[in-house]
Amino acid sequence: MSGTALVELKNLEKEFAGTKALKGVSLSFLAGEVHGLLGENGAGKSTLIKILTGVYSPSAGEILLEGAPVRVSSPPEAHRLGLGAVYQDAELVSSFTVGQNILLGNEPGRFGVSNRAIHDEATAILAEMGIDLDAHRIAGTLSAAEMQLVTLATLFHRRYKLIVLDEPTARLSATESEVLFRIIERFKKQGVAIVYISHRLREVQEICDRATILRGGLVSGTLNRGEVTEDRVTELMVDRNRAELTTHNDGSRVRPEVLLEVTELATANLSPLSFTIRAGEVLGVTGPVGGGMEDVARALGGVVRHTGTVSLHGKSIDVGTPIAARRSGVALIPEDRRKQALFPSHSVAENICLPVLNRLERLLTIRPGAMRRYADDVMDQLAVRPRNAAIQVRFFSGGNQQKVVIGKWMSAGASLYIIVEPTNGVDVGAIKEIYDIILQLAQDGAAVLLVSSSLRETLALADRVMVIHDGNRVAEAPKTDWTYDELLAVTLSGKSKTAA
Amino acid sequence: MTQAEHESPAQAKTTQNAVTKTQSEGRKESAAMRFLRRWGTIIVLVLAAVGFSIASPYFATVSNLNNILFSMIVSALVSLGLTWVVIAGSFDLSIGLTVTTSSILVAFLIPVLGPWAAIAVALLAACLIGAVNGVLVTYGRLSGIVVTLGVMFVLSGINIFITGGYQVPVGYDETAFLYLGQGKLGIIGVPVVILLAVFLVALIAATRTRIGHYIAAVGDNPMAAFYSGINVYRWVILAFVLSALMSGIAGVIVTSISSSAQPVGGEGYLLEAFAAVFLGATVLGKGKPHLLGTLVGVFFLYMVDSGMNMVGFPFAARHIFQGLVLIIAVGANALLNREEVHLKFI
Repeated sequence: MSGTALVELKNLEKEFAGTKALKGVSLSFLAGEVHGLLGENGAGKSTLIKILTGVYSPSAGEILLEGAPVRVSSPPEAHRLGLGAVYQDAELVSSFTVGQNILLGNEPGRFGVSNRAIHDEATAILAEMGIDLDAHRIAGTLSAAEMQLVTLATLFHRRYKLIVLDEPTARLSATESEVLFRIIERFKKQGVAIVYISHRLREVQEICDRATILRGGLVSGTLNRGEVTEDRVTELMVDRNRAELTTHNDGSRVRPEVLLEVTELATANLSPLSFTIRAGEVLGVTGPVGGGMEDVARALGGVVRHTGTVSLHGKSIDVGTPIAARRSGVALIPEDRRKQALFPSHSVAENICLPVLNRLERLLTIRPGAMRRYADDVMDQLAVRPRNAAIQVRFFSGGNQQKVVIGKWMSAGASLYIIVEPTNGVDVGAIKEIYDIILQLAQDGAAVLLVSSSLRETLALADRVMVIHDGNRVAEAPKTDWTYDELLAVTLSGKSKTAA
Repeated sequence: MTQAEHESPAQAKTTQNAVTKTQSEGRKESAAMRFLRRWGTIIVLVLAAVGFSIASPYFATVSNLNNILFSMIVSALVSLGLTWVVIAGSFDLSIGLTVTTSSILVAFLIPVLGPWAAIAVALLAACLIGAVNGVLVTYGRLSGIVVTLGVMFVLSGINIFITGGYQVPVGYDETAFLYLGQGKLGIIGVPVVILLAVFLVALIAATRTRIGHYIAAVGDNPMAAFYSGINVYRWVILAFVLSALMSGIAGVIVTSISSSAQPVGGEGYLLEAFAAVFLGATVLGKGKPHLLGTLVGVFFLYMVDSGMNMVGFPFAARHIFQGLVLIIAVGANALLNREEVHLKFI
């Protein structure tokens, strides 16, 4: 292999509360190489990246940058060392033009700032990279995909040595992806190492020089270009030794009546989709991140603009806004708990009681005793620990926070629960408890729509599994018809089993 | 396993287009709307001026224009200063009291140091106030509102302390110093010229140099600025320093205009400055504060004041009108510029 190791990871370990997410990963990234990183959810990919970009510090092991050991103690420190990542949002100055953004921090000229010079240079950069955008456009008016391309263009001046791209094509169309690949080519020529995380096998085959597959916190194998085949990757990814989750939905909860009927639901990233869920049934929706599965949840929860009709209990309902959806009996439990579902500096009791406050009032004032009792009751049912409703939610672990979010909606009596990535950031110990809670919701007769990129989770909880790839449903079948390997192959390739 | 029914690609495509279309429709606006957004505030200003001219023969005269400009000097300087801080994404409530402090300092120091050194010390003191604000907001991790509110109270105490609550006179023989506030160049007052000079320098700094460019970047998206290798704290601090410096200049001119420094009274400039900055944000449809807009905003407020005064409206009516103009101008601009979800209430 030509090229020198730009970044070398030696025996990296990371332990979270007694569970090892990384068990000694040794890996090297070469200057000018595109290195694919693959693995199931929980294999340690995101932990590894967070260590590399300074979000976490490793429990053991070391990182060598150009041969010298470095301590990446914080994201700014990573930035200073030249280890960069493209964060999904918060990357552009929205009131600035595309050109001003591309050259931000590296404007031509010494003291004065000439907009003409900036736009001339930016236009040249855009042309060279094949991004068809006017450098004078205001960044705030760009589409999400255009923003992402401009964000990548801004990296040229940041002089990163290594750039982590996490599912970069998730929001891009085919042509835009081509532009992305050209940008990556240019970085390669500059000698930048690219760590490319993707669940789309075809991309990895197309652009990665090497690909490393993680499994259970260990490197399971590194493949050279040409060796990356569906069979090899599947074989390296699937963790045969991993203890199967003890939770299993045996399908006994499904009742005959159809509770939710969705017709021609479509958003900007989702082609028209129709499906039904019966009472007590869990429908698992999975696929690559950004491939459209998120939009099913967001549309039904009223968060994103959509077309199509939705009926619950045979009656057409309005899910145009979150308030309307909530009123119609739809509870959305979003992925980003801290931002979208919790009030971190309020107590558990205040969080749990929020949807049912009107029941706890007397003469327009909330009875603290009733609130406390209600919260205690919910906490008992969900085994939230520590069991003290007066503590602020932000002091709880990820798993217990998730229980609080579910607890918040549980007794509010929704007919449809939409649960997105329920165990993201949840400690291993709490996962089973959360699964049990979700199945209990189905047991009580609700319809559950589970959106998860974790195949194990989907197979453990769902009665039926639907795969969405590039905005299209590529497969749907009862869980019993799937094996883990088949499902993995379909999500990776985007081709349904029979067609493949 | 059941084969999923594939949507025909063509059909999927049309629906997708339909969805994107409805989404972009909100953004697409007619030429009339765009014109209104860009020129709306200016049109209202011109209409008001025409109205006052019809109602009063004394309104549209050179001497009245001169009066309006002269009366708005201090307010304009304070507002221009505040514009920097608001662009940087913070608040400065201490500007009004900075005017008073600088005014008092210069009056006190003229007998000791002579006028020029006194001005220099007063302006340095103002910059120091700005630096304290800036450092506390950045390195001190405090909110701009809290810090500058605190500094405002501290300054008001200091001002009364050092003056004992009495005004500080400037000797009538300080002609050079008094020329700054009371002199004339032809028919234009010297302080008006100072205001315009400060404005021009600030405008160049804001539009043609790294100062304005980076302060705007930091105010809009500090994270993006940070990852672009920009020293975010430095530019926030500089914005506070510029704000205080302009208030300091205003303070010097106040002392020169009235040949004395008052221990209280600076607070009034604060609210006017906020009104001017937010009114100014609507000028030319920028939707964010900018120096030219702020200057137009101040002029608007003082022009209306003068016009209503001439037409004979009571003082109270003028305040009501100014308040309504502010809400309507900013509100109309917000209506023309709809975000999908509005969840900011500051």
